[in-house]
Amino acid sequence: MSFIEVKSVSKTFRINKRKSGVTGMLANLFVPKYEKKEAVKDLDFVIGQGEMVGFIGPNGAGKSTTIKMLSGILFPESGEIRVGGFIPYKQRKAYVGSIGVVFGQKSQLQWDLPVIDSFELLKAIYRVPDETYRKNLSRYTEMLDMGGFLNQPVRQLSLGQRMRADIVAALLHSPKIVFFDEPTIGVDVVGKETIRNFIRELNSQDNVTMLFTTHDMQDIEKTCDRLIIIDKGSKVYDGTLPGIRERYGTTRQLDVEFSGPQEVAPIRHVEIVDLDNNKKRFIFESHEVHINELMNLLLNRYSIRDMNISEPEIESIIRKIYSGEVF
Amino acid sequence: MMKFAPYFAYAKKCFLGRSAYRFDHLMNIMSTCLQIFIFWGIYRALYGGNTEVDGITLPMVATNFVLSMGLGAVFSVNDYFFPDKIHDGSIATELLRPISVPGRMIAENAGNALFNLIFRFAPALILVVLTIGISAPAGLGMFTVFLLSAMLGYGVLWVISFTVQMAAFWFVNVWSITTIKNVFVNVLSGSMIPLWFMPEWMVGVLRFTPFSSIYFTPVQIYLGQLTWQEAGLKCAVQAVWILLIYLAGDFLWKKGQKKLVVQGG
Amino acid sequence: MRDVIHLAGVYTKITAKSWFQYRVDAVLRSLAVFLRESTGVIVIYFTLLKFDDLNGWNTHELLFLYSLLFLTYGIMIIFFTGLRDFGNTVRSGNFDRFILRPRGLLFQLIFANADWFAAVGHGGLGLVLFLVSAGKVGVTWNLETAVYYLVAVAGGVLIQGAVFLFLATLNIYLFETRSLKELLYYNMRKFAGYPISIFHKAVQFIIIYIMPFAFVNYFPAQYLLRKEDMAGYPQAFLYLTPVVGIGMYLLAYLFWRYSVRYYKSSGN
Repeated sequence: MSFIEVKSVSKTFRINKRKSGVTGMLANLFVPKYEKKEAVKDLDFVIGQGEMVGFIGPNGAGKSTTIKMLSGILFPESGEIRVGGFIPYKQRKAYVGSIGVVFGQKSQLQWDLPVIDSFELLKAIYRVPDETYRKNLSRYTEMLDMGGFLNQPVRQLSLGQRMRADIVAALLHSPKIVFFDEPTIGVDVVGKETIRNFIRELNSQDNVTMLFTTHDMQDIEKTCDRLIIIDKGSKVYDGTLPGIRERYGTTRQLDVEFSGPQEVAPIRHVEIVDLDNNKKRFIFESHEVHINELMNLLLNRYSIRDMNISEPEIESIIRKIYSGEVF
Repeated sequence: MMKFAPYFAYAKKCFLGRSAYRFDHLMNIMSTCLQIFIFWGIYRALYGGNTEVDGITLPMVATNFVLSMGLGAVFSVNDYFFPDKIHDGSIATELLRPISVPGRMIAENAGNALFNLIFRFAPALILVVLTIGISAPAGLGMFTVFLLSAMLGYGVLWVISFTVQMAAFWFVNVWSITTIKNVFVNVLSGSMIPLWFMPEWMVGVLRFTPFSSIYFTPVQIYLGQLTWQEAGLKCAVQAVWILLIYLAGDFLWKKGQKKLVVQGG
Repeated sequence: MRDVIHLAGVYTKITAKSWFQYRVDAVLRSLAVFLRESTGVIVIYFTLLKFDDLNGWNTHELLFLYSLLFLTYGIMIIFFTGLRDFGNTVRSGNFDRFILRPRGLLFQLIFANADWFAAVGHGGLGLVLFLVSAGKVGVTWNLETAVYYLVAVAGGVLIQGAVFLFLATLNIYLFETRSLKELLYYNMRKFAGYPISIFHKAVQFIIIYIMPFAFVNYFPAQYLLRKEDMAGYPQAFLYLTPVVGIGMYLLAYLFWRYSVRYYKSSGN
């Protein structure tokens, strides 16, 4: 069952292209130049009810634009979006009551007032019944360990506390879908862990559908089963997290510690890097060089104290995908 | 010279950044012209055919408005430079940088003022001169003194703003105080009522305030209403006001920083 | 309906609470608005100490003309502060949040920002001016003049509300519109503080047909005062204020409805 459906969606922005320096300023003052930027082009994906999907990509890849279209803030230029049976940008009022959005960079809380006041306002805006409000509030504040600062003005909260309060604010009306746009940005390690646990629990217990953008791969590894990567407005990967390693993570590295100082003759398809203390690193592609053959070759030729093979980190694979090395 | 490099960079950034809002800019020129036209229209009706009232001619009145409003358009002071930074807490990081924060404010304001002078005042002046006609300056020498006095006038406006902004350390939200300050500046500086037409008692009171130093002193010098000695004396008065108000502002600035340290931001 | 009133109440409570976080500013706020808007009045007062009348209008008549401007503005701004500041709302990205909430956009903009303190300042000035001048301008206050006055005030509120709504809508297309508002609204209002007959024909044209402040105060005041300079305008203008108000507001509202879909959320 597809719950969120995005069909060949595109969105272009017009950007005033400014040149630098005094002459650039004069030029801009009298003859401004505009440039079209395709923020999202021909994007397709489908998400089922209760799925938790990580949505990642480098800066400017079109993540925020996509989230804004999904949540009804922006009209797509072409293509179709359906979420839970609604067309977000056409049936705004009916639709947004069923979603929650957390912008990590942009709080929706009243800056000068205690957290609880913002919650009360949201209760009135979303017409949350007293019973539901009480239940949600006590459950979420407990899960996120917020009891201590509900009555503190937002401006006095730490970033992590504010973020937790913002997450609860987006959930008070029991939305069926939640969009998280960088919900862990600037939060310390412990705070991140709390938020991740909370998100996972919410997804598994309440069957809430979630889309999650972040720059922190740990967020994804610890919460999401599925991953969509976009770059320059288009989808470049859609699948599971392990799938990414299978598909792109073919690089292996073998770290070898020799008994003493050792010169090593070049080996075909293998890059050799000097490390400290008689150690060397051998980097190769698993389909080009067989690991057994390489190890035998080394053991036969040299005196070796220790060996250690490792797969690349997801993070470094993703970095390679962003920089276009993999495609 | 290296010491001033970061300030120069701030000024330049402000100057160049202004080109982004073209439409806004055009509107602003027209705004300045319109205000001058309004007051000119009112005074033409008030004069009702008389060539002069109390020795003041209509072109002199027009000159007063053009210069004070023109200078008003150039004299850009960001009244919320400090309050904004105090409200959102970024003042703490500003203080860690190896440059003076008031110095940065001067630099940014100066960058804006230069932009305003070239792209706002100049076009507005041309438009106004072509339509309503103003008095010529009283000689090249006096015009030079006028330029000096106008700069000092900006100085007075700047230190008043600087000092009032310091209130933010104690009240955080200073919109009201700033607005009240601006009412005083607008009414008492002569930019809306030429100070010639103020009642005697008011002129007496004004002598003890810095407001007439902002616009009215430069206008009087431009029109040649003052002798050389008087002009020199008035410029000195401007300088004294700058010094006095700055000292008050600097005192509050130091106290405010201490308060900030005590509260830990 | 009860639900809507409840929400408006919660919004008002929140706004008031926010302001009282900064007590000094909250107390000074009304005073500041009052003083700022008095600037024009102070200018008129001092000027007419020197000169006896302005094209046949004496001080009290000028103040009466002025009072209409501020009474209508004071009522309008209670509701339209959010539209006045809409540019900031768009630039800061906060409009995104309004879109994400299941309520009417205009409703949210109006009640999330209703500025009662400023309104007291504005309306207070209008009221003071009216009380000072109404008895001294030779108007016989009876049912007819009172009804005319109230209808004119309502029309004046709609005209200015329409302009604010229109200017707010422009923010969807243009990044920065403060100066346009300064030019079209605040500067034109400075003209409107005086009998428009003293100005150049081009200015009069603008103030009657383009930014029709003349229907907010000049023509309604003329109906009650009948000064000589009315001879230069059609008599029908004395009765058009409510028509202009309703017409302009409808047009502005349609423009708003049409434009919301072009909203480009500001980048990251």
